[in-house]
Amino acid sequence: MKRSNLMCVLTDVHLWVPVGILILGTALLMTLR
Amino acid sequence: MSTTSHYQQSTLSLHKLGVFCGLAAAVWLGSAEAPTKLVNAGFSPFIISMGMVMGAFVARWTVPTLLKGTGFLFQDLVDKPHLIVWALLAGMLWAVGNTLTIFAVRNVGLAIAFPLWNTNSLVGLFWGWLLFKELRGSGFKGWSKVLGGAFAIVGGAAILAVATAQHSDTPGKAATGIIAALGAGVLLGTMYIPYRKAYISGMNPLSFVTIFTFGELGTVFLLTAINTGGVGPLFHELQRARPMLFWPFLGGFCWVIGDLFQQYAAKYIGIGRGIPLSNTNQLWGLAWGALVFGELAGVNSSARLLIFAGSGIMILGALAISMADPGDSELVNWKSAMDRECDRYGLNHTNVAAVVAGDDPHAGRPQQRRWWEVVIMCCAVGVFVWLALGTKAQQISINFPWTIVLVIGTLIPLGVCGTLLWRRTRFS
Repeated sequence: MKRSNLMCVLTDVHLWVPVGILILGTALLMTLR
Repeated sequence: MSTTSHYQQSTLSLHKLGVFCGLAAAVWLGSAEAPTKLVNAGFSPFIISMGMVMGAFVARWTVPTLLKGTGFLFQDLVDKPHLIVWALLAGMLWAVGNTLTIFAVRNVGLAIAFPLWNTNSLVGLFWGWLLFKELRGSGFKGWSKVLGGAFAIVGGAAILAVATAQHSDTPGKAATGIIAALGAGVLLGTMYIPYRKAYISGMNPLSFVTIFTFGELGTVFLLTAINTGGVGPLFHELQRARPMLFWPFLGGFCWVIGDLFQQYAAKYIGIGRGIPLSNTNQLWGLAWGALVFGELAGVNSSARLLIFAGSGIMILGALAISMADPGDSELVNWKSAMDRECDRYGLNHTNVAAVVAGDDPHAGRPQQRRWWEVVIMCCAVGVFVWLALGTKAQQISINFPWTIVLVIGTLIPLGVCGTLLWRRTRFS
């Protein structure tokens, strides 16, 4: 992947919304078990 | 939009195609539950889930290879390498969401848990509106059909779950179960962000799922290992479950076919419309449970009334969404979301627009088949034959006439929808 594309990925809100939800969901799962 | 394909293309509208895909997805996702009912009690739900995901992994490689060939899939991934991140992310979201549903069912029972995590379609609808401009410019009529339909499907699901639940007497841990179910709904609804992003960027659903499955299998493996006490105990449990592993594998295979139709629905009508339609899968799961496995033999008349009411409400919701074609003003917003991806990632606007419209310029070209595709197919068939040979007969009575009817009823949407997709888009 081009470096410019990598920066676009890292600054994309479409990435951080699911990543944030995934982190919260995983934390929830670890708390519940 | 320009059409550069070289084949005789059907004139079916993309909305109708997407609706057919959403409904076919419901049939196959619901039917995927049937094989897992043949699993004897005594196995951890994590092991059954792991078996399904392993079956899904096999299917997610063989079906795309069979339909398009690995050359096409690799080229699609090379053209949009940034989307690999989102495909992996979607698989991970599914794995964590699915594990939460297991906790939810354990703690509060299916009756409460299922409607709560079924709200994933409303979460998906929200993200579709916020991030991909779905439903914007659709007017009051469009909004009321889609939103009303989505709420009706969730409501119908709630009624069905209450009427059919057999294990609702789970004292204590209620709050934990409710939180787990709600969390699952949010995770599964958020999983549709990567789906939609991939498709408005011109990625083929078949390429997307071949990467998705790595995120899915890796995360499920990790979570199952944690929950069974490590990798060693996990393999021991899998070995112990060997005589029944064929059934979750088969369920995983059926699930992938349903998921592929769901992916095409998300591509052609968006997640706001496609996901509620595929969430009517509960109707088909209910049909298998009631007609083939006789699960509702003991229910009273008021429960039967609730089942009919819930099913009717779901069907009305699906009808409302089916009739909600996006108007020109909404399509302008869809295009603007697509343009954002093209500008941001340097994609060719004309090519992406053609693929989004089901006219992939590469779709009609004959694909060169590779020798390793034969190896992939042989491995997949070999795994299923090996598992089938070691499977012990399960002590469960099934209704054969209804099994035949439902198997035919499951194969017809596969044939019809597969043909429609081929004629209209060549599976693009």
